[in-house]
Amino acid sequence: MIRLLKLEYLKNLNYNPFRIFTLLYFLVLTLLLFIGLVDFDLAGLKVNLKEQGMYNFPGIWNFTTYIVGLLKIFLGCIIVFSICQEFSNRMFKQNIIDGLSREEFIASKLLTILVFTIFSTLLVFVIALVLGKTYSDTQDSELIFKEIYFIFNYFLKLFTFFTFLMFLSVLFRKSIFVFLGFFMLWFAEGIFSGIEKFTLLKNVAQKDKARVMLEHHFISDYLPLESMSSLIPNPLVRTKMAQMIGMDFKFEYPVSSVIACAVWSLIFIGGSYLILKKKDW
Amino acid sequence: MEKILEVKNLTKKFKHIAVNNISFDVEKGNVYGLLGPNGSGKSTTFGMLLSTINPTSGSWKWFGKDGTDTETLKKIGAIIEQPNFYPYLSAEKNLQIVAEIKGVSEKRIDEVLDIVNLLARKKDAFRTYSLGMKQRLAIASALLADPEVLILDEPTNGLDPEGIIQIREIISKIAKSGTTIIVASHLLDEIEKICSHVIVLKQGTAIYSGSVDAMSNTKGFFELKADDMSQLISALESFGIFSSIKEHDNLIVAQISEDISASELNRKLFDKGIALAHLQKKKESLETQFLELVKQNNL
Repeated sequence: MIRLLKLEYLKNLNYNPFRIFTLLYFLVLTLLLFIGLVDFDLAGLKVNLKEQGMYNFPGIWNFTTYIVGLLKIFLGCIIVFSICQEFSNRMFKQNIIDGLSREEFIASKLLTILVFTIFSTLLVFVIALVLGKTYSDTQDSELIFKEIYFIFNYFLKLFTFFTFLMFLSVLFRKSIFVFLGFFMLWFAEGIFSGIEKFTLLKNVAQKDKARVMLEHHFISDYLPLESMSSLIPNPLVRTKMAQMIGMDFKFEYPVSSVIACAVWSLIFIGGSYLILKKKDW
Repeated sequence: MEKILEVKNLTKKFKHIAVNNISFDVEKGNVYGLLGPNGSGKSTTFGMLLSTINPTSGSWKWFGKDGTDTETLKKIGAIIEQPNFYPYLSAEKNLQIVAEIKGVSEKRIDEVLDIVNLLARKKDAFRTYSLGMKQRLAIASALLADPEVLILDEPTNGLDPEGIIQIREIISKIAKSGTTIIVASHLLDEIEKICSHVIVLKQGTAIYSGSVDAMSNTKGFFELKADDMSQLISALESFGIFSSIKEHDNLIVAQISEDISASELNRKLFDKGIALAHLQKKKESLETQFLELVKQNNL
């Protein structure tokens, strides 16, 4: 494992896009966690996320992981570039000829993904904890860690997302096609979900629609991007502003999405391996 | 002789048949040429033997062991089609990666860079190298793990004459050290200069496999010249040891059917009162032999 990490270190650390994006990512990630301290001017309305309860335990875990979760595409770019250049420079083939197995190749990329994911998760955890300790209205020790599972969900969300991008990179081998493929799936999921919901609700009476929407398990909820996004709900309804106008925050731990994400990760890793194995290089 | 590689009935079908049922053996310490025009399946064969291409059928053994695993690959040094390195990394860093994969000490890096004369440029990024330097770096990389076999696919492709000579010198130096070498090329004089054995491929089929000397069944030919050419021709015909006697570019070319040395022939002709202005015994060049083989096996 140390050998594979060293390989990745040698390959990536002198690769400029890799260095620049990594630096930018962790910089922006750190800055974004402090966003609650900034006053926004929204159409004349002064909004301050700290005032809205962003740093209050236990909601802070939801707020911070949701906001930095938006940044994952940055880190995704790094992973896509780093894997695609192996193919565009024909280095995958050369690595194989030199004596690296396909399993080791996948493992080395997974290690990079894990290092990034773990480091991001730890960073968010530590900074959020410090911010919460400093600014939270409650310091009740029971509440502090009540929703700490969002940190785990954040980890899983990143990991699933990156294995997904790894799979696309191995499949298309050119970063431009990877991003195209990603957006295609995004639209496809949206369209599929729309069709599924439309066909289901067509025959449901108006008054039951909301209940059915909430209770029914849609297949589209288990598609990769949708299950990833259900791991961390949009915390907007948790703001004081939203609570004041009577919005209700209801959240059940998304066990099925967690399972779906874990299964998708396995499928993506296995799929990447199969492609490397079956294709002629 | 110890067998390094045994290939049996190896076949690869893409949409067409790229490699058709070829079999050959490679013995330790020899230099093998894999000969064939472009598209005859040389690179595909190497690809399968190096585990980058999945074969359709057939089998092979490296060092007596079935197939190609990573341990085997670490004992092989290979250069495929063109030198592949991380363009943004220096020669040294690139070789560190190879050393890490192959599990050899980084001390070897300077040694192999010295062999190919790149030690002074080791800190420069690969992308700044000329094609000749890239190819030499590829050889350095292949030598890194002190391989038992060296596989070279078109090692002089696209190089200038000086680069070709440099590469050829490096290869013959390696061959002298006893390393088994398999080199693919469509440049026949290239193979002729360095190989002891050849495997000739044509449209994916091996039409010959054996030593260079045994490739041609002819015994060679004489080139002769005398002042009276017609007298010379009739004298040669009277000996009855030539299969054909033709005049070509002011020289008489006589194909040998019964072996005779040049001095013996000279004496016989002198006895007949013919003094030669030119006499040379020649073997067919690999090129002629190759073309003949290809012609014979017109599929």
